Formats: sequence, C-alpha cells, structure tokens
Amino acid sequence: MNHRRRPDLLDLALRVWGVLCFAFLFLPILFIVIYSFNVGRLMVAWDHFGLDSYRIAVQDQAIRSAIGVSVRAAIGASAVATVLGTLAGVALARRGGRWVPLFVGLLGLTLVTPEIVDAVSLLPWFVWLGADAHVSIFNHGLVRLIVGHSLFASSVVTFIVRARVAGLEESLEEAAADLYAVPWRRFVDITLPLMMPAVLAGALMAFTLSLDNTIISAFVQVSGSTPWPVYVLSALRSALRPQIAAVSTLMLLLTLVALGLVALVLRRSGESSTQIAEAIAGV
Amino acid sequence: MTTQTAAAADRAVEAQDIRVRRLPSFTLAIPAWAWLLGFFLAPVSLVLWYSFGRKPGLFGTHTNDELSFDRYREALEPAYLPTFINTLRIGVVGTVICLAIGLPFAYWLAVKVPPRWRGLLLGLVLVPYWTNFLVRTLGWEIILSPQGWVSTTLMDLGLRDSPLSVLYTRGAVQLGVVYNYLPLMILPIYVAFERIDPALREASRDLGASRWHTFTRISLPLAGPGVAAGLLLVFIPLMGDYVTATVLGGAKGNMAGQLVASEFQTAQNWALGSAMAVLLIIFIGVTVAFFAILWKSLSAVSRARRGVIVIDTRGGTP
Repeated sequence: MNHRRRPDLLDLALRVWGVLCFAFLFLPILFIVIYSFNVGRLMVAWDHFGLDSYRIAVQDQAIRSAIGVSVRAAIGASAVATVLGTLAGVALARRGGRWVPLFVGLLGLTLVTPEIVDAVSLLPWFVWLGADAHVSIFNHGLVRLIVGHSLFASSVVTFIVRARVAGLEESLEEAAADLYAVPWRRFVDITLPLMMPAVLAGALMAFTLSLDNTIISAFVQVSGSTPWPVYVLSALRSALRPQIAAVSTLMLLLTLVALGLVALVLRRSGESSTQIAEAIAGV
Repeated sequence: MTTQTAAAADRAVEAQDIRVRRLPSFTLAIPAWAWLLGFFLAPVSLVLWYSFGRKPGLFGTHTNDELSFDRYREALEPAYLPTFINTLRIGVVGTVICLAIGLPFAYWLAVKVPPRWRGLLLGLVLVPYWTNFLVRTLGWEIILSPQGWVSTTLMDLGLRDSPLSVLYTRGAVQLGVVYNYLPLMILPIYVAFERIDPALREASRDLGASRWHTFTRISLPLAGPGVAAGLLLVFIPLMGDYVTATVLGGAKGNMAGQLVASEFQTAQNWALGSAMAVLLIIFIGVTVAFFAILWKSLSAVSRARRGVIVIDTRGGTP
C-alpha cells in the first residue's frame, strides 16, 4: 500500500495551503489594526505609532453620531427580521401547505437579488411613499434604514429557524397538547425554548448584517442619519484619516464578541462545529 | 379545582384548538409575506416599470408617458456595454479563482484537520466574513497604496524603483472581490465535505482506489451540491458589487453596480438606471442558467462513464 507513505507530501501541501489562505484572509484586517495606531494626517501613509486616532475618534461628533445611527438601525432591523423570520420559519416547518413553494421562492428571490438592485428600487419607493402617498414615516432616516436592512435578514432568519424547527421532534408538542396545553402555551413553553438557539443566532446575524450594510444605506439614508459605513464611504471621496481605522478596529472587537456569543449559545445547546458554522453563515 | 371549572377549562381548550385549526396554515407567515411584498417585490416591480420610461428633461428623474425598450437599447450602447462585459469577466474569473482557492482549503479543513481544531479554525474563517465589508476593502487599499508600507518596503529593498501602481486598476478590483467573497465559497464546500461519511473514503481506499480517484470519484461528487451553492453565493453578489469596485477601482466605474448607482445618484436618470439594473439581473440569470446546464450535462456524462453512483445515505440533503 504505497499510499500510506506518499500522502505525507500531499498532506503537507494542503497544510501549507491552509496556512497561506489564513494569511490571505487576515492580511487586510491586520493592516487595518496596525494602521489604527498610525499618527499622521492620512490613514494609508504611516507616520509614527500612537493612540491619537482613538482619542480623536471618540471625541469626533460626526463619527459618534454615525455609530449611534448604525447601532440603532441594527437593533431595529434585527428586531423586525427576528419576529418576521421566526414566525415564518415556524409556519414553514410546522404548518406547510401549497403556499410553501411560492413563499420559499420569494425568500430565495430576496437572497439572490443583488443588493444594488434592492438599493435603487427602495430609493424611489420611499420617495413615492413619503412624498406622493403622504406616509410621512418613510421620510424618517432611521425607519428607511431599518426597513432596508430587514429584507435580506428576514429571509436569512426564516431559513435558520425553519431548519431548527424542522429538526425538532413533534412528539413533545403533541405530549403538551395531550396534557391540555393550549396552543399558545405549547408554543411558549415547548417550541420556543427548543428553537431559541436558532432565534438568537438569527437575531445576532441580522444585527451584524445591518451593521455591515453599505449599499442600501447609501441610497436610502437621509441627511442627519448617516450610518457608519456610509460615513466611511463618503470619507473615501475626501481623505481617509487614521480615525477610521481606529473605529473599524473597535467595531471588529464588537463583532468578535457578538460572534463568540452566538457560538457559545449554540455550543451550549449541543450543536456541532459544522452546525454552528452553518447557523452563523446562514448556509 | 372543582369538576365544573375543570370541564369549563376543557371546553375552553377545545374551543381554542378549533379556532387555531381553522386559521389557514400560512397565518404565521403572513407578516413576513406582507413585509417582503411591500418592501421588496413592489419596489423592484416599480424599477421594472421605470425601465420602460424615459428621462423627461434636465430636472426630472423619470416619466412613463410613452413606453419603449429604448432605455435597454441605450444601456447596451458602446458607452456602457464594455462595463457590463467587464463586470461579467470579473465575476466569472473571480468565482473561478475563489473555487480554486476555496476547494482545497475547505477539503483540508473538513478532512485533514483534527476535529478538535476544526471549530476554532472555522471560527477564524468567519472573522473576516463578519468584519465590515468596507473595512476589509480599506485594508487592501492600505496594502496596495503607493504611499503604503508594502510599496515603500519594496522600494527600500530595491525590488521596485517606482511606487506600487496596482491601486485603481482592474487587477486591484479582481483581487478585492476574490478576497471579499472567498469565505462564501469556503463555508458551503466545507459543510458538504464534512457531511461525507469517512467510511466511504476508507472503503474506496480499501478497494484499491488511489487517493486521487477517491477524491474525484467519491468526495468531489458527494460535495457537488456544496460546490454549486458556493459558486452561486460568490457569483451573484459579486456581479452586483459596488463597494469593492468603488474603493479599489477608483471612481472610473468599471462595474455594472457603479453604473446603476451613478444613474440614480449623479445623473438622476432613473429610467436608464432601472434598465441597467434589470439588465444586470438578466446577465446574472443567463450566466447562472448557462453554467447550470453545463454542470448538469457534464455530470451526466461523467456518471455515464463512471457507471457507478455513490449515494451517501447517512449524509443529509444539503
């Protein structure tokens, strides 16, 4: 059996490839973190080491407001997507019917439509709703951001929750029904706790997706409610200062904490690493 | 509790059960359904409608007083068509490179790495995926910048006598999209490889198949759906990309997403912008359909030649 000896070379090659891939994946992030300690006028031109950018970033009114808008929009979008997605996911997994293919088709459509198309279609839609149909709530910047960010996220939460609920045995719910639990109590006492990991993972994912959203935000935002990524995008047109790297590093830490929380919640509910990855990545 | 109240509770439960059962099965999906109709399907339909109109004058954005396909014709004129072709090229090349990098990597992670390390390493793949898209791209701007550390180091070492001039070229955009969408290729392929029962690979080797044959005839066909998912997850958002091209490609606008955006934001020609958005979707759809048919026929041919179909009954359907 010569393949017992030969593989070492192939295994080594794969391992080297793996390490190279990780280096590639982390290279730009590493540079952002390093350059956040740059003291200089421009972010990309290294001057000398210092913490000035962090101090300036924390004091900058525009940056603080942009992050405030981002976080509020993310909380709102996450709440909307979680409620809509959880209900829809339960309906898909437990109460299927002939409507399912049509609905799944619509969800799939939201996932495959390029974000730029969502963005350019939401802009005239909000203008029309706000100005022509006189639904003035759609002139509100935060409302626009929440609606825009919740679309893709709702579909993602729906699929995550559906996968989880479909994997749950119905016998527990049936037992509760036999013991005269009304449907509402059955849902709250049995189904909801069992599907909680999926709901939490979905909620955190919707939150991160919203924080990350640049394209839809750039189109639907109104002045005064500029979220963080759009602030960075507009800074590109003038000059990138080291503060942007500093805030990005802080946001990276925030994302890592959120990711760690999801992994922890899923691990405690006994998911394997693959299931955790699937849940977090939404695939 | 008296018998009477218990009986009343019983009746109440029955009544509620009947009431719930009478609700149609899609009741819980109605909110999501309505939300997506109102904020996804309706606006996208509106864009489709605008694409048949025209820009009325200098200050108007759109009018549908006369319907025509003229905006589509305009979008395919020499001024814009090269951008669509370029987008398609960046999209196809980027997806292929992602596959070439991601497939061996996902295989290594799912098969070679000891299980106790897998969770951690997978988490590491997710970190860039969850880092802000724009920020990751800015990282590349730092790396590729002519004033950046890489450029000056190369010059100090005498490896280059002029500053690095990669930034704001198509090469930079190509690199940026490969980087940005690589995790979307790795994750579904990883999941597909991980689900394959190791016993199948062992059986194949015990029956005398070489490592290469085991990979191409057992592992790869079983991971097929994961590979297909990865290709779609990378190609579709890549085609509509706007951020990477804007940061690394400069304001020249060499991807279709930028064209659409500038028609809406700068030129204020919503009719033309809408037609371009619809064309972008058509380009994506046609390309995906083309490769799907190619995939189907190729796998049919290879199945016919192989004569054996491996079905992993223990792995779930992804």
